[in-house]
Amino acid sequence: MLTPKFICDGLSDLEIIRKSLEVVDYFSCLYERYEEKLMRYIKRVAFATDEEAADILQESFIKIWKNLNAVDQSLKLSSWIYRIVHNEAISFLRQKKSFGKNQNIPWDDTRYAELPDDTLPEEAEELEYRDKLTHHILARLPEQYKEVLILKFLENMSYEEISDILKIPEGTVAIRINRAKKIFRKYAEHPF
Amino acid sequence: MKPSEKLLQTIRERDIKPVPKGYFILRNALLWTGFAVAMLLGAVAFSVILFCIQQTDFDLVSHLSHSRLEFFLGLLPFFWIVSLIVFLVVAMTSFKHSGKGYKLETGRLAAYCAALSILLGALFFLAGGGRELEQAFGVRVGLYESIQEKKVKIWSMPANGYLSGTIETAGDSTITLHDFNSKTWIIEYADAFVAPVVALEAGEKVKMIGKQQGDGRFRAEEIRPWGGPGMRMRQK
Repeated sequence: MLTPKFICDGLSDLEIIRKSLEVVDYFSCLYERYEEKLMRYIKRVAFATDEEAADILQESFIKIWKNLNAVDQSLKLSSWIYRIVHNEAISFLRQKKSFGKNQNIPWDDTRYAELPDDTLPEEAEELEYRDKLTHHILARLPEQYKEVLILKFLENMSYEEISDILKIPEGTVAIRINRAKKIFRKYAEHPF
Repeated sequence: MKPSEKLLQTIRERDIKPVPKGYFILRNALLWTGFAVAMLLGAVAFSVILFCIQQTDFDLVSHLSHSRLEFFLGLLPFFWIVSLIVFLVVAMTSFKHSGKGYKLETGRLAAYCAALSILLGALFFLAGGGRELEQAFGVRVGLYESIQEKKVKIWSMPANGYLSGTIETAGDSTITLHDFNSKTWIIEYADAFVAPVVALEAGEKVKMIGKQQGDGRFRAEEIRPWGGPGMRMRQK
């Protein structure tokens, strides 16, 4: 049975984990808390459809459940969760590449319907164009550069969080971001 | 059905249980033990390398021709150098997989591990561990050729000008030497350079460069202690 939202909202991530180990139902709080963010992240990093992203997220949370006792309290729990989801998403992407499936996921423009009412049509158009362009360039970037850019600029993560998610030193994160920005800029000059 | 409900249902249906905490504690303990053991073995390998370097006569290189130089290079402790590298890689891998090991850059981690191995290895060498281990390896491991065996080989080529052994008697210009192949030699050393640490007395182990004069006769040009300080230094 799902734990009601008002109970979940009153619990910290670590409290949810502690309670989940006693009663599995509490685990749904963790899923619901991160679902939206992680679905978006999976779609960005693995170019997955909604259905694929949902499957990846389910599998990731089963892994999170199995490793619940391995939670490192010195890490931000969100970083630990992102790490597992990231690994699952990347392995999906590699599998997809090895099977030669089409990676060009149709651009989901439904979210432009959610823009505030006072957004000018030109503004919305410009926003959509930039978003599509970003998606297009990211798809062309090597994996190691694409993932740092997504985490830094689309997920707004700190260097420390990125280092914990990708399990690489912070210095390496900085170097990769720097290189990724240069390549991104180069591609942006001749996007198509 | 909401995805979170589906998740709970899957966990229940498949009866998936979280892996016990003990497993992670044990895994972490094994990684740290692996790191510590690899570091210690690396230090031991380094101490033997130091011992081998101490025993190798690098100043001899200038006396050697190309083919003999290759033979001389065979004295370098490649087995221990490879062992040191392997142990350092194992230590680094264990560290990288433990807790927050990934935070440290590979280059820096390699430098720290190497520094720790050098420090511990130097201490072990100073305590005589390097010599003991190298000799024990030579005795117990059939395939392993100890540095002493290699050294005896290179210094038992009188026809090429290299001879070694233990002094039996010493006179003003000649020495009777019992070489490591149990052959007795009469050595003329009147014009030879004798290293100050060498005591030309019975029982002193020496090695010499010179020319073979005939069967059982050798004219020495340089006489040096066999290894480490000579008897004279030890007596001080």
